[in-house]
Amino acid sequence: MMTNPTGRITQGQFSFLPDLTDAEIALQIEYGLARNYAWSVEYTDDPHPRNTYWEMYGMPMFDLKDAAGVITELQACRSTFPEHYIRLVAFDSTRGIESVAMSFIVNRPKQEPGFGLVRMEARSREIRYTVHSYATDRPENERGGR
Amino acid sequence: MASPTDSANLGQITDKKKRYSAGVLKYRQMGYWDADYVPKDTDTICLFRITPQEGVDAIEAAAAVAGESSTATWTVVWTDRLTACDSYRAKAFKVEPVPNNPGQYFAWVAYDLVLFEEGSISNMTASLIGNVFSFKPLKAARLEDIRIPVAYVKTFRGPPTGLIVERERLDKFGRPLLGATTKPKLGLSGRNYGRVIYEGLKGGLDFMKDDENINSQPFMHWRDRFLYVMDGVNKASAATGEVKGSYLNVTGATMEDVYERAEFAKELGSVVIMLDLVLGWAAIQSMSNWCRKNDMILHMHRAGHGTYTRQKNHGVSFRVMTKWLRLAGVDHLHAGTAVGKLEGDPMTVQGYYNCCRDSYTKQDLPRGLFFDQDWADMRKVMPVASGGIHAGQMHQLLDLFGDDVVLQFGGGTIGHPAGIQAGAVANRVALECMVKARNEGKDIKNEGPQILRDAARSCTPLKQALDTWGEISFNYASTDTSDYAVTASPSN
Amino acid sequence: MAGPLYSIPGSTAAPPATVAVEADAASAGALESARTVGAVLAQTQAGAVMDELDRDLVGLAPVKARIREIAALLVIDKLRLNLGLSATSPTLHMSFVGNPGTGKTTVALRMATILHRLGYVRKGHLVAVTRDDLVGQYIGHTAPKTKEVLKKAMGGVLFIDEAYYLYRPENERDYGQEAIEILLQVMENQRDDLVVILAGYKDRMETFFQSNPGFRSRIAHHVDFPDYEAGDLLNIAERMLGEQHYHFGPGAREAFVEYLDRRLRQPQFANARSVRNALERARLRQASRLFSEPDRELTSDDLTTISESDIRASRVFGAPLSHEK
Repeated sequence: MMTNPTGRITQGQFSFLPDLTDAEIALQIEYGLARNYAWSVEYTDDPHPRNTYWEMYGMPMFDLKDAAGVITELQACRSTFPEHYIRLVAFDSTRGIESVAMSFIVNRPKQEPGFGLVRMEARSREIRYTVHSYATDRPENERGGR
Repeated sequence: MASPTDSANLGQITDKKKRYSAGVLKYRQMGYWDADYVPKDTDTICLFRITPQEGVDAIEAAAAVAGESSTATWTVVWTDRLTACDSYRAKAFKVEPVPNNPGQYFAWVAYDLVLFEEGSISNMTASLIGNVFSFKPLKAARLEDIRIPVAYVKTFRGPPTGLIVERERLDKFGRPLLGATTKPKLGLSGRNYGRVIYEGLKGGLDFMKDDENINSQPFMHWRDRFLYVMDGVNKASAATGEVKGSYLNVTGATMEDVYERAEFAKELGSVVIMLDLVLGWAAIQSMSNWCRKNDMILHMHRAGHGTYTRQKNHGVSFRVMTKWLRLAGVDHLHAGTAVGKLEGDPMTVQGYYNCCRDSYTKQDLPRGLFFDQDWADMRKVMPVASGGIHAGQMHQLLDLFGDDVVLQFGGGTIGHPAGIQAGAVANRVALECMVKARNEGKDIKNEGPQILRDAARSCTPLKQALDTWGEISFNYASTDTSDYAVTASPSN
Repeated sequence: MAGPLYSIPGSTAAPPATVAVEADAASAGALESARTVGAVLAQTQAGAVMDELDRDLVGLAPVKARIREIAALLVIDKLRLNLGLSATSPTLHMSFVGNPGTGKTTVALRMATILHRLGYVRKGHLVAVTRDDLVGQYIGHTAPKTKEVLKKAMGGVLFIDEAYYLYRPENERDYGQEAIEILLQVMENQRDDLVVILAGYKDRMETFFQSNPGFRSRIAHHVDFPDYEAGDLLNIAERMLGEQHYHFGPGAREAFVEYLDRRLRQPQFANARSVRNALERARLRQASRLFSEPDRELTSDDLTTISESDIRASRVFGAPLSHEK
């Protein structure tokens, strides 16, 4: 368990709140669909703060009218990777934005391994820092309870 | 309506002999007033609020402003004839009494593109607010708003990072960012200072912040501050799995100091540095270039602006400062809170936010925006709301400012009865529950307090915060408000 | 772990009180408390859609009657649900069978609106597809294609035209079978998320259902779209012309009646679609006719009149009368 007050990784829009139910997740998806965002399901076993590219569970979903399509993919991803981090990411293609507009975690491993801070002393009291993902101490195919 | 006097015989003198005979002419006779002038798309247009001395005609005063801020001096000079000034002298083209403010006039002045050096705020400001604000025939003058033509906008590079790229670097989307200013602003040792940074970030804030007047005083030299702060930042990042930052104030006595401090911040891996507005335009533009070169977010603290932005009859409006700072290239800008301890009427403040974040700012008189402004795809500035705000106002802040803002709760974090981490938790929970509720379609403006109380039922730190500050508000009249009521239709 | 702990060891913050956050009891809306047919119709405006259907669509009397029956069933089901007499949402998938141009797509659009008004689908849009939108060209291509279409249709109605092309018994390894399996699964498991309407020629749909009993058992409502009578077709033609600000000139209407009579006896008649095409060709002829008189001043009447000659120039009048339809 991690030592921050939530006991878990706090990335995304809603990590400080009780886990969203699928009905609550659907409401967030609807909010994005109403703004023409494209939703994507992404998963990883290494949620390092600089690990930008989580694995895509399929491509972003364009032109959906209803949250059910996203929920369907999320459920499929959850059953495939129950012990991975899964997040929903919404893309906004509006000129001047053209980037991610929403992102929140919708699945976590039961035990969140967290990170260590590796310090390397350098000259004149400087320290080089490396955030180390404990999850990556095991080979890729042995992580995430698989 | 107290109409500005307008006698036909005071028009521009076109006869060269009369125009350039030695002596003093009215500014309007020199050609600085042209009621028929239609501004070109490439003109910069300024709106001045002027208070002429008793007996000074409003049109002549407006012409004087145009003259003194461009090509004129107080008397006729033959050397004008060596120039093509007829084609580019600034022209006042409209004067209107300010609604409900006898003695004050709005004067519209157009400036040709040739008048300002490309990409130089220093030069533009030296013209527009250089001499004219001490000009004797005016009791007071204020630059209310400015329309910068796309042709001139494109000579500036704008924010080095911009709020879109900032979010990508921080991996934080779809919600306001949270920050806090380390307190007390002066006096902590480097070691003690870093403690506050660590606690705030670990508890759930995205950013901590140096205050404007912390540079390198005897109790904490800047290198110590940077070293301890970065230890806190990195520890918090590992403890939460989030990218964290702390605005390292690199302001110093000389540019050499500023560069040295910025280089050290970069070396330590900080994602953001901070500058004070008092450094001046050239320093800001230089550091903007440096940040662009070094992938650094540039946090601008508007220290000192109140000396010229606050009084409504004299100075420079903050919306003009905002436009200049976006061109000059800053990524964060303190732009007011509307509900906190510092000056700012909510709609006027929203006007500043629009100037920071719009792709195209529309004229909006109740928000103090007199012009359409096309930003020509220039990156957007992340506004910062800081000063006397707390978790209990989260619904108001989100409703007023939306997602693209940094909400800074200094006292509201560090002053939490259960400690800094608890304060940070309270703010983050308040923020997330409000964003969630808004996205679910709830009416947060009205249901906000209940939404917060509901969230506090399972979050003790938030409950403590609401119990401590729930009822605090700063209800003083603002000095800088729009002259146009919300219902007013554009008068021009 | 179902949520954050908010625990700060050593802090004066008490450990979190475990508050059971009760799920928001869905505030009983007006529709949920309706007890009469009138109340449901008033709440949902579904009646207005049915009236529009009656008004806007020519002929189709048996179809309209069928839609009213289905709507009545849905309204009664809603009332039963409100009283707790039925728990599960009903199967709503349908098949629309009939010849081309008999109004299947148009009625499907209205059906989507009715289902939406009555709360059986959340969004009420219609996604119309054919085999090519669902079935891929190579191995592994079909499932993503079908799923993408299904995701886009969720919240609304998926209209699969000429659905029988999904099934090609002559080719054992046809990818259509994969699409069929995914469709069947979603039609069964996500009945709340979308309604599927299969459409096509009656006889071919019949064969299709015989070889795919899975579909037959999941279709609740079959709607037959008969061919239009000649009188309906004339009505449709005049409406179409009116919408585009045209009208029949002297003798043109009679010519068109004659045209329809001849055309109906020729093969491949596609009802309203053929009427539309015939009128398009008449417009072309009208335009060429006016174009050939460059100096004539054209009045509004000239520009809006389809003359008898514009109709009679059709090849249909030249062709020998055939007796097959």
